Amino acid sequence: MKPARIVQAIALALALAWSLAPVYWMLATSFKSELEAAQLDPTWWPHAATLDNYRGLAGGTLPFVTFFANTVITCLATAVVAVVIALPAAYALSRARFRLRGSVAYGILVSRMLPLVVLLAPLYLLLLHAHLLDSILGLVVGFATFGLPFAVWMLKTFIDAVPIEIEESARVDGYPRWQILLRIVVPLIVPGLLTTGAFVFMEAWNNLIFPLSFITTLDKQTLAAALVVTFTGQFKTDWGGMMAAATLTTLPLMFAFFAVQRSMARGLTSGAIAGA
Amino acid sequence: MARISLRNIEKRYDDVVAVADCSLEIADREFVVLVGPSGSGKTTLLRIIAGLEHVSAGDVLFDDVRVNDVDVGDRDIAMVFQNYGLYPHMTVYDNMAFGLRRRDLPRAAIDERVRRTAVLLAIEPLLARRPRQLSGGQRQRVALGRAIVRDPAVFLLDEPLSNLDAHLRVQMRAEILKVHRAVTATAVYVTHDQVEALTMGDRIVVMSGGRIQQVGTPGELYDRPANQFVASFIGTPAMGFLTCRLERSGGSLRLAGGGVHARLPAEPGLPIDVPDGGPVIIAIRPERLALSRGDERADADVVVQGSVEVVEMLGSEQYVHVRVPAGSVTARVPRDEPVRIDDRVTLTASARHLHVFDAETGASLAYPQMAPSA
Repeated sequence: MKPARIVQAIALALALAWSLAPVYWMLATSFKSELEAAQLDPTWWPHAATLDNYRGLAGGTLPFVTFFANTVITCLATAVVAVVIALPAAYALSRARFRLRGSVAYGILVSRMLPLVVLLAPLYLLLLHAHLLDSILGLVVGFATFGLPFAVWMLKTFIDAVPIEIEESARVDGYPRWQILLRIVVPLIVPGLLTTGAFVFMEAWNNLIFPLSFITTLDKQTLAAALVVTFTGQFKTDWGGMMAAATLTTLPLMFAFFAVQRSMARGLTSGAIAGA
Repeated sequence: MARISLRNIEKRYDDVVAVADCSLEIADREFVVLVGPSGSGKTTLLRIIAGLEHVSAGDVLFDDVRVNDVDVGDRDIAMVFQNYGLYPHMTVYDNMAFGLRRRDLPRAAIDERVRRTAVLLAIEPLLARRPRQLSGGQRQRVALGRAIVRDPAVFLLDEPLSNLDAHLRVQMRAEILKVHRAVTATAVYVTHDQVEALTMGDRIVVMSGGRIQQVGTPGELYDRPANQFVASFIGTPAMGFLTCRLERSGGSLRLAGGGVHARLPAEPGLPIDVPDGGPVIIAIRPERLALSRGDERADADVVVQGSVEVVEMLGSEQYVHVRVPAGSVTARVPRDEPVRIDDRVTLTASARHLHVFDAETGASLAYPQMAPSA
């Protein structure tokens, strides 16, 4: 084997180890007993593997199923709302020709670059005045606010790839723009809609700071925030239980990712290929 | 019925002028071809007629009614795009019926029209298929069918054959002309292929640089090109152009220089406004040139002497490209004429077939001895 290939292989292995090590640790710890998970000298694999942590989630005092349901409902709703609102915006950015088009597009992009915490105070006040604090709906508004810029840009990429002649044919046939969007463009970008929705879903799923800030009732909490609030105590932390909950929290995301990964890759490159 | 009038049309994209001061009258049921190289403005002009582009200046009229502000869907036009523009997620049947459903026609009426058109274009077996299951030629027929089924007043076709292979292109040209005769609507056809233009158009509009260079029948454009551009663009192979000096002596004109000798009987009041000794550009259609070998100077009106640069064998004939100091010319000669590269040859022609152009502007200089158009 050539030296360059060996170096390449070592670098790849290190990168993989760096990325996968936390995942392995989470999985391994979820099968450790309370004692083994908390001991000072960590063990690389569970010496006495146990399912007690998972049993505790299913039948324990914590409403894990409620947290899971809250998260699924909130993230699904966020994905739908974000895609529905982003679609006409993305279509306008892709097809309409108006003076400030470039500025609007970059403004949307720039807003995406704002740290999440910058939106916290203004969103909190907004939700407070709208009586949406401590509610699933308020959380959806918060998640969608953050996810919209990305959804607009991603959908724009998919719409750019639709040949303009197809829409012009529909214009010649006498259809108005909104019907062209719904009857011609949307059916052609269904993979893009699903991919964008999946991205927004995953982002909302992992969001910790909004649920911690906007939800005060434990029963309305999402998984990410519940992991922090319920497994860390004043005197001890239930590492095994937390890692079991974290593993179950991660699984739906993994399934969602594998389901749409091909479309994701296409979505990330289609803009460049079409010259959009 | 639809007459189309374009009056002083201009289209700008920021600082770029795509179409400049174009005026054109298209009669009802006429088949007009817009032809020119890429970037000449022909597609932009077609899209302006369709309403897909707004004019920067000028007026578009259908039957003397100004339609500048009329939406594309309300202009009673049908368009066939270069890339067909078929709806990928619909069957052939739905592609053809889609435009009719917008008009709230009864289902039975839509079905009858779609099937009748499908029979006309021999695509009835394809009605249940989707565009990705069709060949290029089949997609082209479906695109045509989608236009025909709407029974419009005007057909607009934007290079519909450019994605087909040469053989299929020839076949589809005839199909389109047959269909046009059957539907009797006004048609405006865009192409960059001058052969397509010559074979299909009732009249041809030659465009270059966003401007109309000449409008005429195929015969007019071929025999009496208005300028050097039209002369070089129309005709296969293209005419070669030779630069020589104009000399007036004893009531006749002589053109000489760079391997060219031509004598032209002058008429009183000849409108060739070039000073004695000034440059002009001459050209002759390749089929009007007779070829003889060697340096002999034949007793002909026009004699061009040079050496053979390239010989193209086309089966039934040859194109012989001859380099002379004044430029280069091409002659069409029989295939059994023994010509080789680097042969010294003499090309002769009658003065009746000589085209003369202004060396500065490229405009055709009227010459009364030129043959009238066929």
